[in-house]
Amino acid sequence: MDDKTRRELYRVMVLSRTYEEAILREYHADKKPAFDIGAGLVPGEMHLSAGQEPVAAGICAHLRSDDAVTATHRPHHLAIAHGVDLDKMTAEIFGRDGGLGHGRGGHMHLFDPAVHFSCSGIIAEGLPPALGQAFAFQRRGSDAVAVAVTGEGAANQGAFHESLNLAALWTLPVVFVVEDNDWAISVPRDASTAIASNAGRAAAYGIPGQRIEDNDVEAIYTAAGDAVTRARAGEGPTLLEVHTLRMWGHFEGDPQAYRPDLAEVPSRDPIPAYEARLTEAGVLDATAISAIREEASARVEKAIEFAKSSPIPAPETARDYVFA
Amino acid sequence: MLFPQLSEEDPTAEGVLATWFVSDGDQVTGGQLLGEVMVDKVSGEVVAPAAGHVRLLVAEEQTARQGDIIAHVD
Amino acid sequence: MSVTDSTAKPASAPAGRRLTTARAIAEGIAQEMDRDPGVVVLGEDIGKYGGIFGATGGLLDRFGPQRVLDTPISETAFIGLGIGAAVEGMRPVVELMFADFFGVAMDQIYNHMAKIHFESGGNVRVPMVLMMAAGGGYSDAEQHSQCLWGTFAHLPGMKVVVPSSPADAKGLMISAIRDDNPVVYVFHKGVMGLPWMAKNPRSIGPVPEEPYETPIGQATVAREGTHATVVTLSLSVHHALDVAEQMSADHGVELEVIDLRSLVPLDRETILASVGKTGHLLVVDEDYQSFGVSGEIAAIVAETDPGLLRAPVRRVAVPDVPIPYSRSLEQAVLPVPDRIRAAARELVGA
Repeated sequence: MDDKTRRELYRVMVLSRTYEEAILREYHADKKPAFDIGAGLVPGEMHLSAGQEPVAAGICAHLRSDDAVTATHRPHHLAIAHGVDLDKMTAEIFGRDGGLGHGRGGHMHLFDPAVHFSCSGIIAEGLPPALGQAFAFQRRGSDAVAVAVTGEGAANQGAFHESLNLAALWTLPVVFVVEDNDWAISVPRDASTAIASNAGRAAAYGIPGQRIEDNDVEAIYTAAGDAVTRARAGEGPTLLEVHTLRMWGHFEGDPQAYRPDLAEVPSRDPIPAYEARLTEAGVLDATAISAIREEASARVEKAIEFAKSSPIPAPETARDYVFA
Repeated sequence: MLFPQLSEEDPTAEGVLATWFVSDGDQVTGGQLLGEVMVDKVSGEVVAPAAGHVRLLVAEEQTARQGDIIAHVD
Repeated sequence: MSVTDSTAKPASAPAGRRLTTARAIAEGIAQEMDRDPGVVVLGEDIGKYGGIFGATGGLLDRFGPQRVLDTPISETAFIGLGIGAAVEGMRPVVELMFADFFGVAMDQIYNHMAKIHFESGGNVRVPMVLMMAAGGGYSDAEQHSQCLWGTFAHLPGMKVVVPSSPADAKGLMISAIRDDNPVVYVFHKGVMGLPWMAKNPRSIGPVPEEPYETPIGQATVAREGTHATVVTLSLSVHHALDVAEQMSADHGVELEVIDLRSLVPLDRETILASVGKTGHLLVVDEDYQSFGVSGEIAAIVAETDPGLLRAPVRRVAVPDVPIPYSRSLEQAVLPVPDRIRAAARELVGA
């Protein structure tokens, strides 16, 4: 891998983490002294992606703006890595009229048609529409692909199995990505899944499956490159499972009392680890790191400012956009 | 026009004139769909062989045998 | 007045150009597929078989397997596929074989197909048709005889159309395909004119050959009358018209029959104008009675002006019971003509 690519992977991960830290700050700022989920500037559920940045950075590095990405209830890292409009995304998270959905969707329902990005709050149900996007690309003679992301808990939902079968049967240009972050809310993988890895399920559908360990952004990048190339070449879908890390709760406000591994989480943080690796390889130095962090911070704060300045949707418009 | 051969194993099988799309005496064109027939589970179409006035010889829901004359076009 | 406002033969149709509802639907889809290469058809047995109820007959031969696709038994996957293709600008027509099967894929339908446009603040469109067969009367029992249009109509974000006649079936299908919104298109098996199921004669009717749109959201007065308004849809329109003819002959009672044709949007104006004229309302709906279409119609009148009514609203629907198998039982719960006639006679005091 060349240095430029490696630096870019690092930059995207830093931008994503900086963003999630800012949202974390904003989300909790006005929910004190006791957590009230419906209060404040960013009400509702919040599912942040700290620790899962390598998946987004490694996969989206291969994508163009005409490729589709469908994400889950935990979408921010993928949206950022795929180039969703950060200002409008933030305004949407803040429920403002300048948001991607004019405040109708919020953080779990982000749609940016300019980069074919969508997400869904229903576990595994984002996969079937990704098949449709792939189908449309194929019918048009384009080599665009659809990346359909889901979780290890979702891989036990019917929609997952139906989607793999149909994508394989019709040789659709889809890359299925399972983010195995060990926890389906509070249920660990070995209490939900009959086999050790979802990569093994790929064989049941006649498609290649690969599991990437250690949240390794470069291994993810390599595997994703192969999968995207296959899809573009008309060879059909691939299933990638990444063993990644959910650093924070399932949702903000989750006390994670069920989780015995919390103490070791900071040591598994993928960003300091990659930073150290690139520094040792001479790809990054303190100046470069500092510049990347400052740029990320500035970009994120600008997006937050944009969101806070965006108007609150007028109540009398509550019924707008039901029908085109 | 004959009741279509829908069953090959039993050439004289009975069926039903399920639907007429036209009325007795209507002007029809060649190739126009005139009706539907059923033999057991299989349905078939009755199509006008040429243009003209159609005379219907079998009523809707009446039983007929494959090969029976069911209509003609003058 | 549109070409499909009455059941009489329109002057423009050549003598004898009549089709079954099933063939009319297939013709509507075919003409749209000719016009727009983005229209594709997906579903179980819709290709070689032509659809279990004939709605897609002839399409595979004419347009080939790239555009007419038989799917595996994976409603969630193929309905979702339709959604994604629609998001990318195609116009899929997806068939759910029986309305009763919505349960296995309802998340895609009501949480995705119906909500994506709104969630995206209008930035993403889902121009898709979800068509389905509904209705009973031929002993297909609890899981294969339901109507369920009330359930779809209840959930925001999808249009719901229910044609009763061949002409409306074609026009509504064309309108549904051209609509930029998701449209649930429900056809009663008993109006399809199938050769293998007992059929009402109105299942075959005149259908103009050229493509045309029947407006979505507009009811039609299927029969004018003065003594009572019968608001209904689908196969029950035919039963209501049969009863209306009998009551005119036997009792001199003139029933006005409103064929709703669409549930979402609902044509409140036509309903209210008719009830305002007759003062008597009978709703006939083959869906379940409670918490559905008939209650909605009654509520619309009550919340507009209960003074319009000179007698309480009557409803004839399936009385909140799963549809039984045995013919004697099924015929006792469906809104059959005898029940309609009894209710209408009671309503007008005949």
